[in-house]
Amino acid sequence: MSASPTFVARTGNFFHRYANPGQFLKLGARLQPWLTWPAILLTLTGLGWGLFFSPADWQQGDSVRIMYVHVPAAILASAGYAGLAICGLLSLVWRHPLADLAAVEIGPVGASITALCLATGSLWGKPMWGTWWVWDARLTSVLVLFFLYLGHIALIRAFDDPQRGYKAAAILALAGAVDLPIIKFSVQWWNTLHQPDSITLTGAPTMSSSMLWPLALSALGMGLGFAAIVVARTRAAVMESRIRALLSSPRRRGNAA
Amino acid sequence: MTHLPYIAASYGLFAIMALVFSIGAALRLKRDRIRLATLEQKAPRKAGAAPQS
Amino acid sequence: MTRKTRRLWLVIACVACLGTAAALILRAFSSDIVFFVTPSQVVASPPPKDRTVKLGGMVVAGSVHRERKGETPVATFNVTDGQAAVTVHYEGILPDLFREGQSVVAIGTVQPPHDFAATEVLAKHDETYMPKEVAEALKKAGKWDPRFGPPPSAESWNQMTVQDARKNTATQPATN
Repeated sequence: MSASPTFVARTGNFFHRYANPGQFLKLGARLQPWLTWPAILLTLTGLGWGLFFSPADWQQGDSVRIMYVHVPAAILASAGYAGLAICGLLSLVWRHPLADLAAVEIGPVGASITALCLATGSLWGKPMWGTWWVWDARLTSVLVLFFLYLGHIALIRAFDDPQRGYKAAAILALAGAVDLPIIKFSVQWWNTLHQPDSITLTGAPTMSSSMLWPLALSALGMGLGFAAIVVARTRAAVMESRIRALLSSPRRRGNAA
Repeated sequence: MTHLPYIAASYGLFAIMALVFSIGAALRLKRDRIRLATLEQKAPRKAGAAPQS
Repeated sequence: MTRKTRRLWLVIACVACLGTAAALILRAFSSDIVFFVTPSQVVASPPPKDRTVKLGGMVVAGSVHRERKGETPVATFNVTDGQAAVTVHYEGILPDLFREGQSVVAIGTVQPPHDFAATEVLAKHDETYMPKEVAEALKKAGKWDPRFGPPPSAESWNQMTVQDARKNTATQPATN
């Protein structure tokens, strides 16, 4: 405990120095093209490769191509919520204003990518498994994640005093993070209809490299795209808060004088 | 290739989503940049100050 | 600064409590979270005849019999988990992925001792993704028969390209 105040103070200084809203606008503007263009390039390459040039699977045939959209969407659904939880931590402990703005902007993007994951999963499950939906542990825990996103979106906008909304949403984001390991390990802990992960840290991927490459490219591309959209939206949100500040204080004072 | 509709629907959904979000973000950035520029011209002494939320 | 530290510890404590709670709940309900039961579980303790269960296992090679009852196809096949086998009866169209050696989940009721009346059959594919040509090459080389189990370890085939596989199948004309 004796060392922690300095640690907390130091990390706090770090965040305030490198992530204060003014600094973020400069950094974000410089970062944006480096996220946007590689994202477009890699996503188009990965998905084009997956759709037209990668081989059909020995048992699933061409339906396996849905994987190149579904798997990156699933990774980003979890990663986006992890981002939301980190923002929640920064908001609750360090009261970081940028973390709150970012949390507001991550929510809808993350919820949409989770919806995409569920929809493409359904579109894959119908021809392969023979059903649109089952209540197995993997599918259900991802559906829970989707509702957590929806709850976060609603909660962070629910209060007249935005600070209260930020606080409530940050708590929800942190509490909901419990769902992330459940999603990850659901296919190992319980029998599910959903197959286990093909790519693991411990073993060789049980996927042909001719399918792994397009998957890796589209996952990287979609990940960069997610980051690009979140950065762009957060930059816009910072500008909007600056616009509100300019509109409220100096103008009104100027008019009154 | 009897499962083509499922594949097309998956890629189509992604394309629509990607377009909606990227165009939306680009337009929002553009609009905010213009509004901020005109406001800061009117009140130049406040330019560069950190926003108070 | 002490207030920030206190908030950090408070957050850590809350997350830890919540995580423990969730883990305990999941542990308590883990038998209900299981999507299917295995043939050996069904044989060891058959559930009541009127309860719908989901039976998961591998379709035994050579056990599939397809007939027609009027317009509807009728299929009978054995499902095993390696220890016990249950005979599944199903009226209807089987999913595209259904084959011998495939994992399936049959939803229906148990007819003791070893029969199962399915109302729905789902195919459960595994985490193996390989091109058709590679699968052909492995089969031709005698390294794998999909009817009898999972493919050999991934290192042995996941770098094989479609071209390699075509070459292999061409140079080894039908050994089986």
